[in-house]
Amino acid sequence: MQLGFWVLIAMLGTFLVANMLFKLPVSISMVLGAIVGAVVGGKGFPLRHLFEGSFVYLDTMLIILTATLFMRVIEKSGAMDALGATIVHRFHKAPATLLILVMLIIMFPGMITGSSAAAVLSVGAIVAQIFQLIGIPDNKSGAILAIGAILGMAAPPVSIPAMLIAGGVDMPYIGFAVPLLCMTIPCAIFTVLFLGYRHCKGMDYEKIHDKLDLETAQKYGIRLYAPIGIVLVLMALTRAFPSVIPNLGMPLIFVIGTVCGVFVGKRFDFLETARQSIADTVPVCAKLVGVGMFIQILTLTGARGTIVVGCLGLGVVLLYVCCVTVLPVFGAISSFGASSVFGVPFLLAMLSGNQIVTASALALLASMGDLMPPTALAGNYAAQIVKQKYSDVFRACLVPAAVCLAVGLLFLIFSKNLGFLV
Amino acid sequence: MHKFKSIDLSSIKGNKISAAIGLLVALCVLVSLAVTFLGARVAEPIYAGPGVTRTAMLSDYFDGIAGTAGDTEIYIFEGEKPGASLLVLGGTHPNEPSGLLTAVLFIENAVVTEGTLYVIPRTNSSAFTCTDPQEAEPMQYTIDTPGGARSFRFGSRATNPVNQWPDPDIYLHSSSGQLLSGSETRNINRTYPGRPDGSFTEKVSYAVTELIRQENITITVDLHEAAPEYPTINALVAHERAMSLASSAVFGMQLQGMPISLEPSPTNLHGLTHRELGDYTDTLAVLMETANPAQGRLRGRTDEALVLTGQDPLYVKAGQYGRLYVPFGDSGHPISERVARHTAGVLELLAAAGEAGQGNIEVSGVPGYAEIISQGIGAYLLPPE
Repeated sequence: MQLGFWVLIAMLGTFLVANMLFKLPVSISMVLGAIVGAVVGGKGFPLRHLFEGSFVYLDTMLIILTATLFMRVIEKSGAMDALGATIVHRFHKAPATLLILVMLIIMFPGMITGSSAAAVLSVGAIVAQIFQLIGIPDNKSGAILAIGAILGMAAPPVSIPAMLIAGGVDMPYIGFAVPLLCMTIPCAIFTVLFLGYRHCKGMDYEKIHDKLDLETAQKYGIRLYAPIGIVLVLMALTRAFPSVIPNLGMPLIFVIGTVCGVFVGKRFDFLETARQSIADTVPVCAKLVGVGMFIQILTLTGARGTIVVGCLGLGVVLLYVCCVTVLPVFGAISSFGASSVFGVPFLLAMLSGNQIVTASALALLASMGDLMPPTALAGNYAAQIVKQKYSDVFRACLVPAAVCLAVGLLFLIFSKNLGFLV
Repeated sequence: MHKFKSIDLSSIKGNKISAAIGLLVALCVLVSLAVTFLGARVAEPIYAGPGVTRTAMLSDYFDGIAGTAGDTEIYIFEGEKPGASLLVLGGTHPNEPSGLLTAVLFIENAVVTEGTLYVIPRTNSSAFTCTDPQEAEPMQYTIDTPGGARSFRFGSRATNPVNQWPDPDIYLHSSSGQLLSGSETRNINRTYPGRPDGSFTEKVSYAVTELIRQENITITVDLHEAAPEYPTINALVAHERAMSLASSAVFGMQLQGMPISLEPSPTNLHGLTHRELGDYTDTLAVLMETANPAQGRLRGRTDEALVLTGQDPLYVKAGQYGRLYVPFGDSGHPISERVARHTAGVLELLAAAGEAGQGNIEVSGVPGYAEIISQGIGAYLLPPE
């Protein structure tokens, strides 16, 4: 048995013991797992590697910090309640249309930034407010939000998992739009209707009318929505005209939206809001630091290669099984990491099909990792927004997630026949 | 039966003293690691051999990179007789060490009697100053020479984020409009032909393009390594104008017993040397790949031994599963073999240039494929001073 296998067992065992038995936070448990893995792998205490690994998610952490602050600010300014009320007021007569429209709103930031966390954090609170008003239970709201954000991340025009897989084999990111849309849009419509339609098809508008905050919107007018508009417009403009508008980066876009949000609506204590949002964010960032160290040690000791080669040694059927299990499970550590580490070898192992359709399907499967604990970037933030335990949200995600995985698998198996989509 | 009880360590509360201790420990870690990481900014010495007639800086061809971490040395070998010229790009990707070592081998051994040879050992010099988080690569490796050991930096595939950050979500290649993932924005071999007012990395690639234009370089060869599971491996990739030259070189390498293939540069994959330097300059652009397991996704323990020996039981297993594009046995693909292939490739291109009527470049003093394999790369490096 390869040493890498035992290292993997030691790392996972240490993580579970520290997290479940000693009730240590996920972040600390990951760090302990990494340290034990390095010792078992004969690397001693590799301080440089632990430190270097902590930088894997630096950019993601900056996005999360600034997006959380933005979300808190638009919540305090009253924009969130007002926008939710306005959308429900306009579309309450057509609940299915309302649900699909809201799903597209969730997906949009993910589609243009390639980040599920950015999608959840930028529009999540607004959408959660709408779902609450129309009577969808909080755990299901969280599930729609999480899966919508993930499908947005996998969808074109910016599907970073697909770009990473394509880049790994020097394949241009061309021709991916239709296959990705053909997978993500049906999955998104199914998810939102499956989880939400039964709760709002008999919506009694008279009953919920009193709960709608239509006054704030009337009092402050269109300017109340300026921060949300600015963020979405900047995201879209920098993507649409990259040679004209310089790359501002998601953190700066959220900061611009935040500054705007302070002045357009209800007055609130900005410093206290900022303190609270940082307090909310630090545990997530700590988790990402721990995960980064964990991956670095997996690579250092050869445990990562052991997993990849183990999967590639399987027959065709088991290779497909690996694609729908290992890709999302490793995505629990990082969906981008899963795309690069597993997506590329899996694509190379399945070159007999249409490569673009295969890479698109692998990108969808890897993206589902953002639903998997412990990191579950999209899932955890969705749960936090709807104020539910992640385990409850995760349970609600199971059927739609299974459908997404099945769609991805079908595209993988029939990639050759689906070549006309490219 | 004894009931298992968990111990809730999360209930332990911190206080000002524990916070102070934590900060102090963090400070000590930062200081000690800062010394390690800053050490990567000190370039390994390269000793100019008997054939180097002069050195220049890349910024001599585009002053937009002067004084930055992107500026780098060019070693120039001018023959007494005029002839064609060839540029060797080593260190495009500093995590592919045979590129740097082959360039160093030429710098320390080559003598040119006809034509001109240009060698850039560290094309993306900024990328030598860092490693990639998540990849767990060694920061350096050591080659034994008859006069003592010499250390070389193992760097990153991409420009140091200290010099260019943050990455955009997606990277738009300016001259073609091609989209790539944002991290490729710091990969110099996706930024050619470069832009004088572009990013840090685009300025460096623009300087390389300017060098080729201003010196009217006949042939440019970019030295790379690839993971054994990557299809373009043990290959010479050539721009369509360079196909005739490259096919002669490939034939010559095959006659020496090296398995190598000739691949055309894809017309729809932009930013790479073999595409853009061929399209935007008059040079005949080619790129060479050897097999390096240290950069593969299937690799086992990642350390200096893997970089040097190229031996990896996981790759042996993957080869048995039929997942690789290069034969992979227990002996692996050691660094000397990889450098030997590149060296032989450059020598064959030099020979083919004359045969193809591009003008002669006569180079002597450089060991051949069999010599490097038998003696090891260290035997042909100058001793450390």
